[in-house]
Amino acid sequence: MRAALAGYLTIAIVLLGGWELTARLDLVDADLLPSLSQVCGILWQLLHDPRFIADLGLTASEVAVAFVIAAPLAISSGFLLGERLHLAEAFNPVVHFVLAVPQSIFLPVFILAFGIGFLEKILFGITHAYFVILVNSFAAVRSIPRPLVAAARVFGATRAQIYTRIYLPAMLPLILTGLRLGMVLCIIGVLLAEMYASRRGIGRLIFTWGEGYQVPELLAGIVLVSVLTIAVNEAMRLAELHLGRFYARASAV
Amino acid sequence: MPIIEVSKLGKDFSSGRVLVRALADVSFSVEEGRFVTLVGPSGCGKATLPQSLAGVIAATSGEVRIEGERICAPMPNKISMVFQDPTLLPWKTALANVEFPLDLRGVERTARRKRCSALLELVGLNEFANHYPHELSGGMRQRVAIARGLAPDPRLILMDEPFAALDEQTRTRMGHDLLDIWEKTGKTVFFITHSLAEAIYLSDFVLVMSPRPGRIIKTIAIDFPRPRELDIIGSEAFGRIRNRIWHLISESPA
Amino acid sequence: MMGSRTIKALVIAATIVALWEAVVRLGLVNQIILAAPSDIALAAAKDGGLFLRAFATTIMEIGAAILIAWTLGIGLGVVVGSLPVLAAATAPVLSSIFAIPLIILYPLLMAWLGIGPLSKIVFGVLSGFFPIALNTIDGVRAIERRYLLFARSVGATRLQTYVRIVFPLALPAMLSGLRIGTGLVVIGVIVTEMLASLGGIGFLISYHRTLFNTGHVYLGMVLALAIAVTVNIGLTWLDRRIGLWRMREQAEG
Repeated sequence: MRAALAGYLTIAIVLLGGWELTARLDLVDADLLPSLSQVCGILWQLLHDPRFIADLGLTASEVAVAFVIAAPLAISSGFLLGERLHLAEAFNPVVHFVLAVPQSIFLPVFILAFGIGFLEKILFGITHAYFVILVNSFAAVRSIPRPLVAAARVFGATRAQIYTRIYLPAMLPLILTGLRLGMVLCIIGVLLAEMYASRRGIGRLIFTWGEGYQVPELLAGIVLVSVLTIAVNEAMRLAELHLGRFYARASAV
Repeated sequence: MPIIEVSKLGKDFSSGRVLVRALADVSFSVEEGRFVTLVGPSGCGKATLPQSLAGVIAATSGEVRIEGERICAPMPNKISMVFQDPTLLPWKTALANVEFPLDLRGVERTARRKRCSALLELVGLNEFANHYPHELSGGMRQRVAIARGLAPDPRLILMDEPFAALDEQTRTRMGHDLLDIWEKTGKTVFFITHSLAEAIYLSDFVLVMSPRPGRIIKTIAIDFPRPRELDIIGSEAFGRIRNRIWHLISESPA
Repeated sequence: MMGSRTIKALVIAATIVALWEAVVRLGLVNQIILAAPSDIALAAAKDGGLFLRAFATTIMEIGAAILIAWTLGIGLGVVVGSLPVLAAATAPVLSSIFAIPLIILYPLLMAWLGIGPLSKIVFGVLSGFFPIALNTIDGVRAIERRYLLFARSVGATRLQTYVRIVFPLALPAMLSGLRIGTGLVVIGVIVTEMLASLGGIGFLISYHRTLFNTGHVYLGMVLALAIAVTVNIGLTWLDRRIGLWRMREQAEG
């Protein structure tokens, strides 16, 4: 644990320090790589710009809506398939195909079908998140120790009790992992859709800056998105760790 | 001249802030062609000694010599090791595993193959030359490891509790077969074990080690005639020696 | 002579194609969203040469990116994995960085390297590098000490130890990384071609989308999918060949 923290700090210092130093010492053309301090300055300005905040909010809401729709759908599908294995067998080739195929390639078709508005981004995000969460939920259901369920039934546990006391704790770790991965993929999907064809949103902003060679703003946008996505990922990972541990203890027989 | 000479060998390990003295003032010598065993209680540095002899760890004090030459690094031409875990390479056949040390050295293929096939035959596995480790039993894998140890034609073979992971019957049989192999090849063997019976049955000399820091309490000569049958394990003379060693070990100060 | 399984597969494929054609011709799905097989064939007949040239460009970019990603990923992975302190420090950082949507970096590559093949190759390498390196690090770290002790006792040189003992032992883990990473390389290249490019399959897909030439769009997608599937098949073959070792290793225990 301590080694990991030390590692983080060292690497952060090396990278960020190196960046600032490279810019300060003029080792690289300032147009290509503006200094860290300059980028931070721009970022600060952007965060006070209402239009920027509006774009950020738009992207965040697209991600949130897509996730909130995809997650319950995927978990319940995964649960259903896990409990009814004959259904799982029928759907197996489909899921396998989808996972083997890069979904991002279908973006143009999405746009042909749904245009370039809010709906299209959300749908695209949903497809990205759905399958990962589905697969993990399926695995979660399959991971429940069947002898435990049988034993509980023998002892007269009700359906509700079986679901809350045995299913839930056993499934939680894998489902939480699935949710985290789903969120990561959802963000990727929404950002890609915005970069590709959109009028508003952080993705579109960053892409426009790239096309216009506005490197300081570009870097500011990248830094912001990186920090936010890492934060979301780590937050979800913490939840995975603690909730998972808590429920594991709670269900310990 | 004795083939192995250990004088005042000491080994210290630092684990965090604590200095652990594994070996202190260990001295003994081994004549060529002898079978010598080291016994001692758990945690007395029994693992440290063979590693020092093999040159994989450096001594803190004192020295080890093989044929007069000081050992400070592995000498794969002169010293082979057989470990408790056979540590065979899973993707190679039994024969390829035996050939491995020679392969590393660039020995020419036909000579290598001929020699190693003969070794596999010596350990009784010539039918399994093209089998993979996962297809062999624990005892068979250890035989391959022994054949591999013999491949470079070493002066000394170190065996660090090689049969500890086997069940008792296999273990006994392996000991008997090992003596067979030893008599046919005439190698010097330095054997380490927990089992007193195994030590007495196999060796010419038993070195009894004290608890940590390890030192040699006593060297006991085993006079049973060779070749030795497994029956001697039940004999009265055997039992007396065993008791003697047991007392030495359990009564030595910690 | 074809086996019955192949015949079965062909029949199913032919049925699907026929149904597909019918669905579009009968107007069940808008022709703009779903191109009929005949439209795709027409597009191929009309602009086949252009598509083949683009196909070649994409294959070249993917090939170069795979080569570099494999070399860097495995090389760095073996080095970092062999140094326990370094591995403990960097592994968590690397897996956190994994959460950043790499696509957000593409505009930066665009500004720095233009929109030719170079930016695609670099992006492809970035996409594939992390899973390959991470998995290789894990594989190398997991090697039990007894193998290294054996290597020393048998007089193997440093190089021999790495090539003949460390590498084969780490191979199964490396392979999972290669599977994931290579898939990401393919996606990365094609998606960035779609975003901004001078050539390549992705570019053609995007170009024809803006003209609503759905037949051409689907032709491009079929070609892109063909690449993805072929790479996947190649990796599965590799996995199977080397997967035999995994069984042996577990049995040797």
